[in-house]
Amino acid sequence: MSEPINLEKTKNSPEIILDKGASIFKIAGRSIVEDPKEFYTPIYNWLKDYIKAPVKVTNFVFDLEYFNSSSARQIMEIIMLLEKIPATGNKVKVDWLYEEGDEMSKERGDEIKLVSKLDFEIKEYPAEDF
Amino acid sequence: MTTNTIYQFYRLLEKDIISFSYRGSFSNNVLTMATQLFKDNVEERHEKLRNKLSFLMIESFQNISRYADSEEEISLDDNSEFFMTRNIGDTFYVISANLIDNDKIPMVREKLEQVNTLDKSELNKLYREVLTNKQINEKGGAGLGFIEMVRKTKGKLPFDFVTIDNKQSMFFMQIELRNPKVDDGLPSISLSDAKQIQALVAQENILMMHKGDYSEDAVGPMLKMVEENMQNVSLKIHKKIFHFLVEILQNISKHSYALDGKHEGIFQIGYDHKNFRIGTGNFILNSEIENLRNLLDMVNSKTVDELNALYRKYLREGKITNSGSAGLGLIDLARETLDKINYEFMKINDTYSFFSLTVKF
Repeated sequence: MSEPINLEKTKNSPEIILDKGASIFKIAGRSIVEDPKEFYTPIYNWLKDYIKAPVKVTNFVFDLEYFNSSSARQIMEIIMLLEKIPATGNKVKVDWLYEEGDEMSKERGDEIKLVSKLDFEIKEYPAEDF
Repeated sequence: MTTNTIYQFYRLLEKDIISFSYRGSFSNNVLTMATQLFKDNVEERHEKLRNKLSFLMIESFQNISRYADSEEEISLDDNSEFFMTRNIGDTFYVISANLIDNDKIPMVREKLEQVNTLDKSELNKLYREVLTNKQINEKGGAGLGFIEMVRKTKGKLPFDFVTIDNKQSMFFMQIELRNPKVDDGLPSISLSDAKQIQALVAQENILMMHKGDYSEDAVGPMLKMVEENMQNVSLKIHKKIFHFLVEILQNISKHSYALDGKHEGIFQIGYDHKNFRIGTGNFILNSEIENLRNLLDMVNSKTVDELNALYRKYLREGKITNSGSAGLGLIDLARETLDKINYEFMKINDTYSFFSLTVKF
């Protein structure tokens, strides 16, 4: 089993937790890195290995407040890897979270849902109080 | 704001290494970010000037809010307060413009003329006098501010009052900060330059303008600055502005033609009481114009539905045009903007051109 990935969020890149043991799969925050391919390659490699022997139900959470167009492509790559899970006899579900009032993040989720072949749920959560 | 406006500003600010201007109601937040922007971006050799510059920016900025005769919320109009900092050669300029009641002009003029005639020791003496004087200006020590400014500026403090009507005028002032260690030998920029820029900024409804180096590490502070200043607009607008900026600024840093290793660019945010506009300008190699023009014309010729289909196809297949992900960014801009992506190429010489673009939302 691959070592878990636990990346803290930075001003340009999201928090990423990929932990098979704890069954946590999450990408959260902002992804505006200028070279998303380089940034997401280790994530992609981890998942490639993971989908060979996934947990019974993989619940993958996206909670992205913002991502640039070049990150969109990398997020889709991740989703397309997850699409391979059902063939192993296991289940996979995506939760796309967005903050109340954040139409853009919702629309972006709707769009990815439309092109993905996954069980894909878009969920609103209440706006943070300042 | 049109693509030509951006070119006009590029000409006006051609020598500026960094410049930043802001127009509208002022909060300390804008000030904090503006000073930070210069702190982070001024070149190493001006290290020692940083604190002085921050001080002058704060002093000048607070002077605006102190003299601004606004009891109610300031609405954005031709006479909104204006603040600008420019770095040209080895010199920094801090410019302010704000409304002043005509009956207060003689008092302000007298103070400024007084400080402009004094030499250094006289200024120090006056400073101590005002400091210990109980008859301080009712708005709080404005005299001290002028003395401080003229003590730090090179030579005199240029100022002017431009009459608006029989009640009010626009009060312009410019502080010039020179690095004593290096002298670029350039002549000082006159106040009329600042007046011209302010007039054009007002005419074109520009809220914020920045010119500088858009290399990767310079884009971050710019975004932060815009983000922090857009807290009072709705989340929806805020996100859109941010979205456009990320795409456009990263495009400049990735694809613009670098002069002396710098990805020089200019960006503006405008608001005409109804819509926001973002405009950018940067250099591009003449040999790359045709490709870019084709791509822009292609996305501009499509309906939103067609653009959505293109975008989605790209998401799964990773390819739409030969230009790779640059195309995705443009598709995204085209489907979010309220009209087309307006663009223009102005030839600078045989090697490169100036490329300007505006989007509306």
